[in-house]
Amino acid sequence: MIKLTNVTKWYTKKSIGVHDVHLHIESGEFVSIVGQSGTGKTTLVKLLIAEERPTDGNIEIGGWDITRISHRDVPLLRRQIGVIFQDFKLLEKRTVKENVAFALQVAGESTRRIRQVVPKVIEIVGLGDKIHHYPSQLSGGERQRVAIARSLVHRPKILVADEPTGNLDAINTQEIVDILQRINEFGTTIVLVTHNKDIVNQLNGRVVTIHDGKIISDKKEGKYQL
Amino acid sequence: MLSFFRVIKFAFQDMGRNFSLSLMTVVILILMLLSMNTVIVVRALTQEAVSTVKNQIDVSVYFVPTATDEQVEEVKAYVSSFPEVVSLTFLDKDKVLEQFKETHKENENIIASIDELDENPLGPTMIVKTREPSDYQKLITALTIPEYEDVIEAKTFGDTEQAIDRISVITAQVEKAVWVLSGLFLVIAFFVIFNTIRVAIYTQRIEIGIKKLVGATNWFIQGPYIMEAFFFTCVSVASSYGLVYMATKFLDPYVSVIFGGQYFLTNYFESNILLLIGSQFIVVLLLTIITSGLAMRKYLRV
Repeated sequence: MIKLTNVTKWYTKKSIGVHDVHLHIESGEFVSIVGQSGTGKTTLVKLLIAEERPTDGNIEIGGWDITRISHRDVPLLRRQIGVIFQDFKLLEKRTVKENVAFALQVAGESTRRIRQVVPKVIEIVGLGDKIHHYPSQLSGGERQRVAIARSLVHRPKILVADEPTGNLDAINTQEIVDILQRINEFGTTIVLVTHNKDIVNQLNGRVVTIHDGKIISDKKEGKYQL
Repeated sequence: MLSFFRVIKFAFQDMGRNFSLSLMTVVILILMLLSMNTVIVVRALTQEAVSTVKNQIDVSVYFVPTATDEQVEEVKAYVSSFPEVVSLTFLDKDKVLEQFKETHKENENIIASIDELDENPLGPTMIVKTREPSDYQKLITALTIPEYEDVIEAKTFGDTEQAIDRISVITAQVEKAVWVLSGLFLVIAFFVIFNTIRVAIYTQRIEIGIKKLVGATNWFIQGPYIMEAFFFTCVSVASSYGLVYMATKFLDPYVSVIFGGQYFLTNYFESNILLLIGSQFIVVLLLTIITSGLAMRKYLRV
């Protein structure tokens, strides 16, 4: 599903994002990528969604070589990968419903289908009663659930979550992790980037540890170790 | 087609939800258009003033009373051959005498003296107008030749030569000043509009980045801004033209006192409506679209 072969990303000669990363993630896996701040976790996410291009190496997503993806194809890639961020990245002047619908509107889905799908997805993340609220009227956990709904609405095969619980309290963190696990159970590959030790240990799944831009550990049933 | 309708819908949604920003952009555009129209009014008034002054200048060529018809016709043909000559009015001896009597009807002595003479003591007169005041000197030089010394008695240009020179200099300077002023206003308008749009885009840079991250194409992101630019242009051009129209109606009575005739400014704007609205619309639309594109470019690279 995701295949990184000897991927290196340099920002400047002295600033290396990732170095010689070799990573294969199979379809349906739930992989936690851990590491301290500034070790290259977010660079890895940016490479997966083509926000950055690798300096060296190859990246394949679902058999599609995106190493030198054209600017025209980037939107197509992003419609196939769901992404959620620590800062939610919601459109503040649009309601919950409009934020979720936007992901389908940009893909050219029909209005009829959007009307059918959007309320269902919002219901799944437990925000059916707040469909017309603006992000500023929601709590942090609720905002993250809107972001998850938006990332799921076009049924992606991969969901990349970059520190999705970084701004949340313990209760909301647990809710988000539960939702991610449920999504994974339906067959979606999850790449969770985090430095939350408790979450990683609780998941008891594959853990990839990055340090100074390099993968120093990759265990099938790992724990948070730094 | 579906995405086009969504772009229009998003444009109107964005304008409504960023109402104060939209209003500020439109107000700035209107102010700039009003400035440009003010320059247009000043130019129109200056041109009319210059034209009025020029029309009031002419050269009168007085023939001697003994000049024969052949001699007069020869001079007329000679003067008419100049491309600078716009009009030539000829008054024969009888007409000149009639005008002389009319001018001096209050002075009984002059009228009595004229009546006592058996013959008309006045010669024919030719009134010549040229395109530019500076052309009069050329005409006078051409007429001051030995062949016409016995035919032409006097030329009035000599008395007004300095005044005409002065008017030529003033009109040239005024036209130059108006051009410089127009250019200056255009440059100011360009920078004010450029920065207003840049600020508007800057405030929405995070939204633009988010739209890119969820898979929106550049067209889907830029489309609403282009529609907004079109809408802002329509509203600002229509509003400024409405205000200018009201202002010309208000100013016309004062202008007519100077130039005579009625509704000079209103007529000017009405007769040039397509050119004025069309050119201002195209300039503002291009300016807003190009500025939006430039301002957005770096945020679209996400």
